[in-house]
Amino acid sequence: MSNSAKIIIVLTVITLFSGGVLALLDNFTAPKIKAHQEEVKNRALRAALPDNDRVQELTKGDYRFYAAYRDNEIVALAFEASGGGYQSELRLMVGVTPDFNTITGAVILEQVETPGLGTKIQEDPANKENPGWFMGQFTGLRTEPEISYVKNEEPGNDHEVRAITGATISSKAVVNILNEHIKKAEAAWNE
Amino acid sequence: MDSAFSMGIAVTFVMVIAAMVTWLIYYLVLVPFNLKILEYVSFILVIASLVQLVEMFIRKVSKPLYDALGIFLPLITTNCAILGLALYAILNEYNFLQTLAYAVGAGAGFTLALVIMAGIREELELVEVPRSFKGAAITMVIAGSLALAFMGFAGLI
Amino acid sequence: MNKKPAIQEFIKGLWDENPVLVQLLGLCPTLAVTVSAENGLAMGVAATFVLVCSSFLISLLRNVIPNQVRIASYIVIIATFVTIADRFLAAYTPDISKSLGPFIPLIIVNCMILGRQEAFASKNKLGRALLDALGMGAGFTLALLVLSSVREVLGSGTWFGMDVMWASFSTWKVMSLPPGAFLTLGCMIAAANWINRRRQT
Repeated sequence: MSNSAKIIIVLTVITLFSGGVLALLDNFTAPKIKAHQEEVKNRALRAALPDNDRVQELTKGDYRFYAAYRDNEIVALAFEASGGGYQSELRLMVGVTPDFNTITGAVILEQVETPGLGTKIQEDPANKENPGWFMGQFTGLRTEPEISYVKNEEPGNDHEVRAITGATISSKAVVNILNEHIKKAEAAWNE
Repeated sequence: MDSAFSMGIAVTFVMVIAAMVTWLIYYLVLVPFNLKILEYVSFILVIASLVQLVEMFIRKVSKPLYDALGIFLPLITTNCAILGLALYAILNEYNFLQTLAYAVGAGAGFTLALVIMAGIREELELVEVPRSFKGAAITMVIAGSLALAFMGFAGLI
Repeated sequence: MNKKPAIQEFIKGLWDENPVLVQLLGLCPTLAVTVSAENGLAMGVAATFVLVCSSFLISLLRNVIPNQVRIASYIVIIATFVTIADRFLAAYTPDISKSLGPFIPLIIVNCMILGRQEAFASKNKLGRALLDALGMGAGFTLALLVLSSVREVLGSGTWFGMDVMWASFSTWKVMSLPPGAFLTLGCMIAAANWINRRRQT
């Protein structure tokens, strides 16, 4: 057998083998991974939305809304908001009242910020009783005129949150992402 | 230091082309045909063939440069930065232009770090380093200090 | 052929030819993921899995793969096993998979793995190749475990998530950041050099 024929045959066999093994693997693991993502989303929705009877998915414009119904009336809308953090992409799930004026809850779906500093937006080990205090501040927050943050003091207004010392940039990023996406989502929803 | 700069350029070149090609493969082939599981295998093949091309190109154009880079040229394939960049571009859901800008920026940063590192190591020849720290150990410590310096710039913008 | 006892192939990876401390291979994941001991251990185990499986297959195929395309073949085989490891982690341990992020796929370009195929598995019989892979994997995992433990204890005051430092201990933030990885690894390499010199004299 000539050498180049051998090269082609060997490479083809190896790639076919690789493709076959991976196809099998995909069949096997894809449902598990999907179920897990579903669960993460549902947990986020439970945190972002108030008590409800059912949640319905609606797509409007660039956004996919999760509308929470109680007695057949929409009590809150949740949607995903993402943007740049300090060193990674932040993905949030945020819930608002139907008039988009008040936040019903916001949670972080994904972040890879600086360990020990930026990650405090999700979990602050210094605050043992309430490690998720930063995101907790957004529940009930007013979005008018716009969300803002204060440093090293207690927030005085109902549209202010307290930034995390040592993670100002990550804190600011969360505020900016929310401001931007709440406005855009409101425009998309009312279209 | 010259060869550090050339190395940086070679890596940047592979990085930019690889990021564009892998982006196209991912969105034009893997996503429509639901073959995402082949992501890693196809990306690494693209990178390996690109490196081969660059190697042949440099050997044709500048033999001395080819000899200076030597074994480190084929090793670009196993440079984490290239595969990492291609994967990050997909992970962050960048569009084509963002991916391009990301790759050029990362390549420029890589070249900068490489040139600074080479400069410091030239100076290091003249310094007395504790015996246990000679070689790789002191290089790591320098890289650490450099990383610390670079972190100071982050967040300024 | 080499006449060393086979067990020697396993032991050399632990210290004399430790991939991280002596050969300086596979530093990219070593530096990036070793923020916590759990991550370090997971990365070590995943890399060992890929190394052992690839060495097994490549040692079997060593007389079949033509010389000109050996690197391409190795890389495809390695990438296949990495995808398997990646999907398994994502399906069964989603939290670890998330915190290791894109560093699992980067095992593909871990020089240690490609290096062992080129230098050892492609030239040796199955048994020796497996022992070599196990030894290198164990050495890699150990080095990662030490590095990540130092970083987690100093950087977050915890070890595998448990509080281990006294209450007033102020964490060294820099240890959790990239510079901490370089500094710690530099000191570990220096310590290994020092011990080796003491052993020789």
